[in-house]
Amino acid sequence: MNIIRLFNLTLFLLTAAVPLALALGYALLYSLGATGVLNEGITLVNWYKTLINNNLWQSIGYSIYIAFITMIIAIGLALWAVVRHGNVFRSGYTAFLIYLPLTLPATVMGFYSFQLLAKSGLLSRLAFQVGLLHDLAYFPILINDLWGVGIIFTHICMATPFFIILFTNLYHNENLKDFIALAQTLGAKASQVTWQIIIPVLLQKSFATLVLYFVFIMSSYEIPLLLGSQSRQMISVFTIEKLQRFNLQDIPQAYAISVLYGLLLIILIINLLGRSK
Amino acid sequence: MRKYFFNIILSILILLPFLVLTVLSFGRNWTHPSVLPATFTFDNWRTLLLTQSDLSQSVALSLFISISISALVTLLSFFTSKFISFSRWRRRWLLIAYFPYVFPPVILAACVQYYFLRLGWAGSTGGVMLAQLFITYPFGIIIFTSFWNERLHNMEQLVATLGGNTWQTYTRVLLPMAKGALLVCFFQTFLISWFEYGLTRLIGVGKVQTLTLKVFQYVNEANIFYAALASILLAMPPILLLWINKKFVFVKFN
Repeated sequence: MNIIRLFNLTLFLLTAAVPLALALGYALLYSLGATGVLNEGITLVNWYKTLINNNLWQSIGYSIYIAFITMIIAIGLALWAVVRHGNVFRSGYTAFLIYLPLTLPATVMGFYSFQLLAKSGLLSRLAFQVGLLHDLAYFPILINDLWGVGIIFTHICMATPFFIILFTNLYHNENLKDFIALAQTLGAKASQVTWQIIIPVLLQKSFATLVLYFVFIMSSYEIPLLLGSQSRQMISVFTIEKLQRFNLQDIPQAYAISVLYGLLLIILIINLLGRSK
Repeated sequence: MRKYFFNIILSILILLPFLVLTVLSFGRNWTHPSVLPATFTFDNWRTLLLTQSDLSQSVALSLFISISISALVTLLSFFTSKFISFSRWRRRWLLIAYFPYVFPPVILAACVQYYFLRLGWAGSTGGVMLAQLFITYPFGIIIFTSFWNERLHNMEQLVATLGGNTWQTYTRVLLPMAKGALLVCFFQTFLISWFEYGLTRLIGVGKVQTLTLKVFQYVNEANIFYAALASILLAMPPILLLWINKKFVFVKFN
């Protein structure tokens, strides 16, 4: 049994921890100039250039902004749906329907948003047909725009059904019905039940999942690649573009960003798992 | 009345992407300001699935990769998660499992690509599968850790006390009890592998043309009708899995 245990845990380390360690190790060595075609000995210049690079901080800030706005809207919509129409998601065809958006990958959702929100997309065509729009030029720029409207819209479309399912399950697993009945017996008003019982319990119990989802949005790649602008890029797109550009001098900086972002995520996970216990 | 109205709006919002993609997959000549394409035809489907074997090959390749990965990960993570769950260092092991789970796959791929190139694994199906294992295996373990609990541990000991061997413990007790978790793990890891784009593109260096890469290729070529068709194909297996899950697994195990 010990051999099987050893085999399993070794295999786990080899496929989960070792690749990540090798990846971060290589990225760190490259960023320090210890490896790579153009590097000439160990140096901190690449890290210095990276840390004073405004575009990097702008990219991190932009990623946080996209994730933050998406989370606020998606959580708000999901909470509203579960609090006001919770039973809809427990039975009937809508209980199945709410899972359907989860079957669409980010690539497809990005493509759908493009067809919907672009200047020549479905919305502008509908607006034209009903007489709201007379010239294509007046349709607002919702795709590849500076404020990431298309990116936020797509993430909301993906996150809201997920949060509805999450909150619906929590609502029942945490026996919120009993808490609500007790609060009402003690004279709580409907708004007090919502704001002081339902919402705090749902948010507290789902805190770790919500933080992880925040990180997923921040790190997303396909959606900003399809719908983002060239001047403001989310962190994954920014890093990969730097790595694949023709300018080879950018590569060490791209690896420095990878290490930096990786370390930030590791610190976040350690804190998150420590907090959840 | 309010519930009815809410259900209608919700259904429209959820089904709209599927409707738009299906209409586009059968369409041609979608000029502004027409709401619908000028022509509806089966030609897109016929051309892509029968005449051009590229897309059919991508579907087959994606299915092969995703089914193999999910089957392997489900099997491995079932056993590994047991050792992790009952380990003294459970939290430390889980921490290790969470790191690759939250790390952006595309950045991970960019950083490990060097090793794959040096070992000659880049651009091969095996290389892509190995890279996908890096993110799906820890995820499988995270799924299973909630399955292993004190009750199961006690049950395992009870079987041993009653004279059952390891084989009997697994085949007669643990595996039947784990059916739900096994299916959830299989479905979830299938979806991760099936939806994966960035890691597959970088490790596959464009040579391993999965269906997700095909969608991107058609989008970049501005061929919206083919992109819609490939998107529909991409959504089909997850919908099928969802239906199976809801119809059989959910009803049986909950």
